[in-house]
Amino acid sequence: MIEAVSAAAFDARTIEIEARLDRLAAVRAFVRSSCAELGAADDCVVDLVQAVDEAATNIVTHGYEGQAGPIEVTISSAADGVRVEVRDRAPAFDPTSVGEPDLASTRLRPGGMGIHLIRAATDSMTHDDRPGGGNILTLVRTLGLREEED
Amino acid sequence: MALDIAIEQAGGDMAVIALTGELDASNFTTLIEAGRTLHADGTRRIVLDLAGLSFLASSGLVALHSLIRILRGEAPPDPEEGWGAIHSLEFDVSGAGVQNEVILVAPQAAVDRVLERTGLKRLFRVHEDRSAALADA
Repeated sequence: MIEAVSAAAFDARTIEIEARLDRLAAVRAFVRSSCAELGAADDCVVDLVQAVDEAATNIVTHGYEGQAGPIEVTISSAADGVRVEVRDRAPAFDPTSVGEPDLASTRLRPGGMGIHLIRAATDSMTHDDRPGGGNILTLVRTLGLREEED
Repeated sequence: MALDIAIEQAGGDMAVIALTGELDASNFTTLIEAGRTLHADGTRRIVLDLAGLSFLASSGLVALHSLIRILRGEAPPDPEEGWGAIHSLEFDVSGAGVQNEVILVAPQAAVDRVLERTGLKRLFRVHEDRSAALADA
């Protein structure tokens, strides 16, 4: 099993896991503890746990499609906030290209909410192709309370 | 943290399911399976106690939606058919308002936030405690 938690710098923490659904809980626990170390408010911790879980789930189910592969999550401090980078070696996919669901519609689609929840929980989401193949998803969120989108 | 699913019969065609832990993509099908079993045994309404649930992923929303479908005697998407089927499922809320098959109890703030942000909260009546939910069911 690939799994390592390391402190690459004073204010950065990384976990690497195998892309499996039964490793999601470990990723969430890592996000919780790392964000708390950075002084994030509960509101921020809850949001980033949600966002990273949804991102990692998408990598397992859609990116690697159940095949083996690594997922790395790095948490570091950003200006007035937290930066999370989620790296994989799956085929390139840009989640920022996915449109928002129509929440006012009378036909709800509960199965397509993952990327919407990432957007709702963060201040920014950007995607870069990873050198050598794969994806880097970068999420940034302020440390404390933020104005709700709804 | 794993997911614990505790089931109690509540009389008639009603049952209470209490969830403890985290509902995510690794375990949401177990909740769907619990719903299938209850429906097969005659349950038509479920009070879903969320007081012990600390995390709800988007896949958990699929499970909630599937419970409603199962209790209505409809076939929910089979997760074994893959995520394409899950993503394509729809829930028509036009004119129907709040459904009666699943009533929620005491969602924690993190769970409530997910329901709010996805618009799915409008499907559910939500009560602060189980006795109020049972009285309303």
